Amino acid sequence: MEKKVLTEQALYYGDVSMPKGFEINSDKFKADILQAKLENNNFKFSKNWDRLNTFIKDYINLKHKISLVNKSTFGNFYKPFTLTEPSLQVDPVDLRNSPDFVLLYGVQVKDCFIKIFYDDNRRKGRSWDVELKNNMFVMFPSTNMYIIGNNDSKDLNFIQTITYEYI
Amino acid sequence: MAHFAKISEENEVLQVLSMEDVHTADSEGVETESIGQQYLETHNNWPAHLWIQTSYNTHLNQHILGGTPFRGNYASVGYEWDQANNIFWPAKPYASWVKNTTTASWESPIGAAPELTEEEAAANKRYYWNEANQSWDLTDPVA
Repeated sequence: MEKKVLTEQALYYGDVSMPKGFEINSDKFKADILQAKLENNNFKFSKNWDRLNTFIKDYINLKHKISLVNKSTFGNFYKPFTLTEPSLQVDPVDLRNSPDFVLLYGVQVKDCFIKIFYDDNRRKGRSWDVELKNNMFVMFPSTNMYIIGNNDSKDLNFIQTITYEYI
Repeated sequence: MAHFAKISEENEVLQVLSMEDVHTADSEGVETESIGQQYLETHNNWPAHLWIQTSYNTHLNQHILGGTPFRGNYASVGYEWDQANNIFWPAKPYASWVKNTTTASWESPIGAAPELTEEEAAANKRYYWNEANQSWDLTDPVA
């Protein structure tokens, strides 16, 4: 008896372990997100963002043989005790120009979780919760809907989103 | 062109970049690895000591153009950087295989596969490594 996997919904997650002296500066990254917010969400290139992006692309290629190409990026902050509306990065009416993966990176977060929705064959609407911590990323297919929750009572959570397609 | 491998702190090759020779040379045109490393640190956000120069024309410790081989093999993503032996190694093919630092290649514990006889070669047979039995098995691709 044989088995063939036709598709999979995989989550990739972990810490962004940069070499000593080249760590991502979360305070500067947070400032970049706020700056972009003041400029109509126009997130400009920054050294910290580049370190994150290059690390992800290098290690996903090395460990999982997936070559990623950037589609878009934006940063956001989430208020205490809030739950976002469900988000979906794939555009169902423009699949051709949609990304394959969504990456969420914890720039400065506390009591933050990501709920990722998925279908398991006929068992629809299942979800998986991932606790997002500082300097941690989670990447999943863009066809999965997700929500971001902030359970902390006083601090904002800063998260950078990057979308990718694979080649 | 000069080629540099970007390695992790665990000595895995993450990517290989090529760059103009001018970025690895001093004011008198003498190429130095440390100049290239410093250039890459500045422009690629990764520490200088984790950029290791590699030779595009070196394979199995031989220079394919007849020059001097450099660091065993041209680095590629997933290769291991072996600082002690100054060699880039491809992935280990089998758990039991060992490094041959002279040829910069992996070898079975019992050496290379036996030579094929003329009849075996004509029949397109090949030797394959059998890790469970630690032996070279002759396999007939037609069978």
